Amino acid sequence: MAALIDRLRDPSEKTLGLLLLAPAFLLLALIVVYPIGKLVFNSFFDLRLSGGGGAARFVGLENYALVLTDKDFWHATKNTVLITLITVPGALVVGLGLALLANLPFKKMGLPMWPVRLALLLPWALPLAFAGLIFAWFFHTEYGVVNDVARRFGADEPTMWLLRPGWAFAAICITIIWKTSSFMALILLAGLQMIPRSLYEAAEVDGASRWQQFWQITIPMLMPSIVVALIFRTITALQTFDIPYTMTKGGPGNATETLAMLIHKTTIEYLDVGYGSTMAVCMFVLSLAVTALYLKRIGQQA
Amino acid sequence: MKTRLLVLLAAGIVVANGFFPAAWILLTSLKTEAELVSKPITYWPANATLGNYVQAFTDQPLLRYLGNSAVVAAVSTVVSLVVAALAAYAIARLNLRRRQLILTCIVASSMFPLVTLLVPIFETMRTLGLLNTYTALVLPYTVLNLPVCTLVLVGFFQSIPKDLENAAMIDGCTRLGALVRVVVPLAAPGVFTAGILAFVNAWDEFLLALSLNASASMRTLPVGITLYQGEFTFPWPIISAALIVAIVPIAVLIALFQERVVGGLTQGGLKG
Repeated sequence: MAALIDRLRDPSEKTLGLLLLAPAFLLLALIVVYPIGKLVFNSFFDLRLSGGGGAARFVGLENYALVLTDKDFWHATKNTVLITLITVPGALVVGLGLALLANLPFKKMGLPMWPVRLALLLPWALPLAFAGLIFAWFFHTEYGVVNDVARRFGADEPTMWLLRPGWAFAAICITIIWKTSSFMALILLAGLQMIPRSLYEAAEVDGASRWQQFWQITIPMLMPSIVVALIFRTITALQTFDIPYTMTKGGPGNATETLAMLIHKTTIEYLDVGYGSTMAVCMFVLSLAVTALYLKRIGQQA
Repeated sequence: MKTRLLVLLAAGIVVANGFFPAAWILLTSLKTEAELVSKPITYWPANATLGNYVQAFTDQPLLRYLGNSAVVAAVSTVVSLVVAALAAYAIARLNLRRRQLILTCIVASSMFPLVTLLVPIFETMRTLGLLNTYTALVLPYTVLNLPVCTLVLVGFFQSIPKDLENAAMIDGCTRLGALVRVVVPLAAPGVFTAGILAFVNAWDEFLLALSLNASASMRTLPVGITLYQGEFTFPWPIISAALIVAIVPIAVLIALFQERVVGGLTQGGLKG
């Protein structure tokens, strides 16, 4: 007994390591590993929680066969991929612009840095759902500020932003780009500040123009930050839920419904856990590829 | 002089981009319903009123939402910090094999799409009767924040000289004693940074809060405000007031600690 207490008071590296890591791995097992196992398991069952019909019926690959021919599923997948392909490069370009502006020598001119820094942090800290609500108000057909500005510039008819499929999709993408570009800018700004000034000075001596300096020095030196920011943004873009949910609820019809929204609807609203799980597994596979890319990157950095 | 003007212009663009939605919502929250539906729309409120703020608190249990958000975010942040600090110490300090693999495993968990975890978590919480409880959100939020907290804290632990700890152990401290008396106080800034990131993450989360705690009294702020129902239409002035109430705490937090937040975000925090 005394030996045991002694060991607990001054444990070996290995025992201590196990003890310290145990809570983290216990939680991960409970909230990540077990649910994923359960998810895959459920995807082979006809499992509905609605109407008291609780008994699960094994259906093998039937759900998967259904998914393959499910128009709604492919429609939502198409929307999700489109949102990713539009908003990730969009946020990169806007974020890079913001980072370049924020990297100007404010301090040397006696200007405070905090308003600029706070302006980059605020969109990041704002809940996605709030960004969706606020921009839905911007894009309001009757009283939105966007249509008012358009009217002042001579637009005759107000655009029904959130009520027409194409416009709604555009409004959602604009909102996502605004919301995510400032996080991008923060990451890129940190990268910009790491580039040694001497590189630019040397280029100046060699007579390189600003434009050349940007493409020959800034972009290549920034590449590691860009790649990390891009991969991470892609992973979150594939999960897009909050902004379309608060702006259009996936409408009009299901024009702006994403994969996450379809899965949420199927499971939480219709309580069709079996089929919802199958769609979730498919989404899981989609994002796994991107995740693997990201982890490979982290591994290289370490 | 010309450069100064250009730099000022650049600052103006960045500031305007960051603040215009919040500014517009603030203006909207001060307008009366009648002014809001007048055309053409006004930019500056004609008869500024605080009535919308009163109504935001009386029409719906906004105070309750605020409390729910605070409890869930605070508790999950504290638990996450404790668990992450223990794990980060082991990874940064102990002579373990495969520490990189361990860190990768913890980080990888945050890369899984939340909605795929949602389905089984929802089912489990439903079976356990935990839907519409704080536990239903605190548990997943804690895990959600583990990767960020662990990454930030590993960095901080690694920056503390190992000699300090060794000196404490020579002076008779046990290993755990050295951890509590030497390492934790020195890592306090790191713990604080990780804490802010975790708190903001939990405060902002929407999908789980919407799915697991949808009953009126258990909603967090994002869910409560999104599901706010007016009698006939979506009551924009009141919504705007509620949004301002919900944004202010988090804005003050990041304004006070902006340098730490930026440091934490760019070092290890990786959130969209």
